[in-house]
Amino acid sequence: MATSDSSSSPSSSSSGTEFADPNPSTDPETNSERVQSQLESMNLSQPSEVSDGSTRTDYSGGDDQDEVASANGNEGGVINGGLVHEVVAGASGGEEIDASLRAENPVEMEAGEEPPSPTSSGYDGERGSSGGATSTYKADDASEDEIREANVDGDTASQHEAAWLPGKRHVDEDDASISWRKRKKHFFILSNSGKPIYSRYGDEHKLAGFSATLQAIISFVENGGDRVNLVKAGKHQVVFLVKGPIYLVCISCTDETYEYLRGQLDLLYGQMILILTKSIDRCFEKNAKFDMTPLLGGTEAVFSSLVHSFSWNPATFLHAYTCLPLPYALRQATGTVLQEICASGVLFSLLLCKHKVVSLAGAQKASLHPDDLLLLSNFVMSSESFRTSESFSPICLPRYNSQAFLHAYVHFFDDDTYVILLTTRSDAFHHLKDCRIRLEAVLLKSNILSVVQRSIAEGGMRVEDLPIDRRRRSSTTDQGQDTVGPEVSVGTGGPFGIWHFMYRSIYLDQYISSELSPPVTSHRQQKSLFRAYQKLYASMHDKGLGPHKTQYRRDENYTLLCWVTPDFELYAAFDPLADKAMAIKTCNQVCQRVKDVENEVFLQGASPFSW
Amino acid sequence: MVSVSSADESLRLCVFDLRRGQTEGQELDKILFFYPPELDLSTQLSVTGLSEGLITFTRLFSPEAACEVIEAERHSHIFYEAESDIWMVMVVEKNKETGAIWRIDALRRVLKEVHSLFVMFHGSIRALIQKEPTGELTRSQLYPFISDYLSNLFVGKKLQLPTFRETLRERGTVQMLTLARDTALEVQSLVQVLDSCAGSFRCHSMILFEDLLVSTTVPADDTVNLFTFAVMRLTSKALSSDGSSWSYVRKGPGVSEISYKSTLAPFGSIDSLPSGNGNNMHHVIRPLQDDKWKKGKDGFLITDIWGLETGGSPDSAIPTIWLQQTQERVYLLAYQYKSLTLLLLMPINAIVNGDLNVSAVKQKVIEDASLRIWKIEEKISKGWVGKNAYHIKGYRYLVVDNDMEVSRASPTGKVATLAKESLLALNKLREEVDLEKNRVKRQEKDIEICIRAKNNAWVIARLTRGKELYMALEKGSNTLLETTDTVGRFSNRYCSGAFLMD
Repeated sequence: MATSDSSSSPSSSSSGTEFADPNPSTDPETNSERVQSQLESMNLSQPSEVSDGSTRTDYSGGDDQDEVASANGNEGGVINGGLVHEVVAGASGGEEIDASLRAENPVEMEAGEEPPSPTSSGYDGERGSSGGATSTYKADDASEDEIREANVDGDTASQHEAAWLPGKRHVDEDDASISWRKRKKHFFILSNSGKPIYSRYGDEHKLAGFSATLQAIISFVENGGDRVNLVKAGKHQVVFLVKGPIYLVCISCTDETYEYLRGQLDLLYGQMILILTKSIDRCFEKNAKFDMTPLLGGTEAVFSSLVHSFSWNPATFLHAYTCLPLPYALRQATGTVLQEICASGVLFSLLLCKHKVVSLAGAQKASLHPDDLLLLSNFVMSSESFRTSESFSPICLPRYNSQAFLHAYVHFFDDDTYVILLTTRSDAFHHLKDCRIRLEAVLLKSNILSVVQRSIAEGGMRVEDLPIDRRRRSSTTDQGQDTVGPEVSVGTGGPFGIWHFMYRSIYLDQYISSELSPPVTSHRQQKSLFRAYQKLYASMHDKGLGPHKTQYRRDENYTLLCWVTPDFELYAAFDPLADKAMAIKTCNQVCQRVKDVENEVFLQGASPFSW
Repeated sequence: MVSVSSADESLRLCVFDLRRGQTEGQELDKILFFYPPELDLSTQLSVTGLSEGLITFTRLFSPEAACEVIEAERHSHIFYEAESDIWMVMVVEKNKETGAIWRIDALRRVLKEVHSLFVMFHGSIRALIQKEPTGELTRSQLYPFISDYLSNLFVGKKLQLPTFRETLRERGTVQMLTLARDTALEVQSLVQVLDSCAGSFRCHSMILFEDLLVSTTVPADDTVNLFTFAVMRLTSKALSSDGSSWSYVRKGPGVSEISYKSTLAPFGSIDSLPSGNGNNMHHVIRPLQDDKWKKGKDGFLITDIWGLETGGSPDSAIPTIWLQQTQERVYLLAYQYKSLTLLLLMPINAIVNGDLNVSAVKQKVIEDASLRIWKIEEKISKGWVGKNAYHIKGYRYLVVDNDMEVSRASPTGKVATLAKESLLALNKLREEVDLEKNRVKRQEKDIEICIRAKNNAWVIARLTRGKELYMALEKGSNTLLETTDTVGRFSNRYCSGAFLMD
């Protein structure tokens, strides 16, 4: 608790001083003001709201609604130690969120009720972690890349996590700084009155003017009876997503597709809902100028780690999850315990290893969306406090029920492996703890945790391990030259120039991705391959046309092949010089190979819930 | 009569100058053109206001390239900076049911085309504004010009912008006629005669057969503009306006007259065009006006668009155009024999100075060239199989050569046999390719993409060394390798193997 006291200051208490400073800066270079005034001069923006958001100095002053919010922001975060509790407290105090909510959802939660948990949530420790991250503020994108490029071998996911430091960077910037404008990808969350809620770079409060401009653009188009989705300028895309009173904007020059950037905003919104539930909308209904920033204070690491996953985790665009490779019997044994736990009144029970699933189970008729799983594991993984002790924390699964809190019991068995038990009951802590003890006993007895560790060390499928069909190869190359053919002699990747593949089982909502291996080693190369895949995915899954069936795409960087069938999707990357016929054959082999090992790489549908 | 009511949101097009109307209350001064013109001013201002706001906003992050497009739920806003600080913005309504599905780049090419044509006749917009800073002159020329251009896009009562159905078309390129070797030699000698028919003054010439280019000595960009104009208004097909043209430039017959009246409604009668406050009547020329060209007895085309010859002679004044590449103004003479149309460009100075006499040049063309013209026309006509000349069985294709600004495509009638899904898939693929092209501007991209769409059709894009090939093949039974072979055979046979398929 002591740590949260001091570390929460960057987000909440310093904001008081920020607001005392008239904002945005009076620098004539602040072009966003100009844009805004242009929009205003056309009489179609909402000048009163806009100017209110951008120039107001008297923060703690007259408006009592705001007083409630700011009081919560300054005290609640420290005293309660849990932001979610603040929402609830705020609800009972001034906003009355939950009275009607409870009627329409099964969650038994009293407004203002304190969950009777030993360490109430992940947020306080969370603060500690983001406070710790202040020391890494100076690590800019370039050095970040360098760090990652230093570790080229082994499990990429783990090195990413090892090298990549969560938390917010470049807080000292605002829209007047050139460096800020040159950042490759910005994310903003703001309220429909133009109040900043979250910005990936820079201090939200200093970006009030910029935020008001974004709001002005959105409402300008809305006033014309339309809704803006995308603005393009050169290599830049500005993507908008409106979710009720919450506006999300991404400004990017990363060569990602519009569809994917919009999907990222959707996930960002989901992450926010996971923390706060959609009942936050009510706060805005009551008070359009509601200030949400204090409610999210201390969660920078959660958002930054999600944003980071947009450039390495295929789950963010495949909308599927991936499993840790394990012997079938072991996964089954784990699944059986998790299933028993669910039978005792637990909604979902999951055993995860980093972002990979060891096994999971759900109560009857309850199904967990892969996006919820992604957001949940991101939340748990990026919050340091979950690792230090068992926790019981309110959480919302946006795809499952965006209106209601569930309660999550989280316990780490070791650095990587953890259990999450989700329940609708706020008084279930002791029951869930007992469940965990039972699970732990089984895990220890059957030695599963060490098998898990071994699996992490060994990694997943590798393209190098694909069988080389010598007969086929010698038929295409000269006879007698069957020691090492030209395709294999490159010494990189698998047979016939295959570099990487991803296989997604549609029925299971799961995917398997081969380990990244040479020549796709540096962080830059991985990111580039990742983006090529996303483009391929977007190209195959056009909303209007429905999925295409096959795609072959070759440019100077890759040869890409994709199949979409009713059962599975395959994405494969080859050397740009790879032979087309051989590449097709290799893809068939990949599919065969995945089918051969599907019991080890996928969680088979033993669970009774509907995938 | 078609009335484009302001409720009809299918198209809004405006031209505005960011350097004008800087002070509050003066914003209206920015607007140089707005379609539909009867739309209330506050709505016009909201279009330019949003556009300008976003231009400024996007420059924060992307100073080198400002706003290019706004995609909203119901509309696309396409931006084109025609000249420095002079922007053209087109707002089109999306409508899946009526097939209003666009490719942004195809729409931007419409803006580019109308601007290029305007400059060809009137010079740059900036120059006009500088000549007459109130902007009245510019407006008085832009309004009828763009309205006449738009009237060309009407099919029946509907304004028809290039939708996905025209995805195998490339606006802003020239379509060429392939000549037999001996014919080519004869054309070459005709060109020599034409270029020297003004004595010591070198002329430029362009020859068209129907709507196809046979030869040109005009610089490339100007060729495209002049070709576009010729196909719109001058070729034998344009004059006969029998509506059977297969060029994208021209649509059904007789509709344009209706529409321009409506688009020009606020200006009253066609002959008394707008003049601002009435004191300074500008001489308004409407080069794109339809039905204004006739073939004279001597074979030369005549029009009164540029007025009548001064001095009471019944001859019409000779049109002049501005060549962008050489920055000179030239006279345009058009001669037609059956399907063959010859355009002759003569330096204006030579004639103004009296060194050159137009009727003498005409006489010389008739004397020296008419025999050759007849012979060439006969030869080409004999070998000409009509509108399906460039149909290749089994293929629906578009080939673009960006260096030469030339394209060739399957005939419209044949493209129309493709399933809607195939066209949509190809349109989408072209959109993706446009994105890739825009990312690596001026760098040559080498891409090969083959997609089997949901309906089993193959859609293909192949880019290499400044050339582009797009294709739709509705042979669902073909494998990827067979499809590649099919494309490879096409490339070898018809494109000199330019599109190597690995």
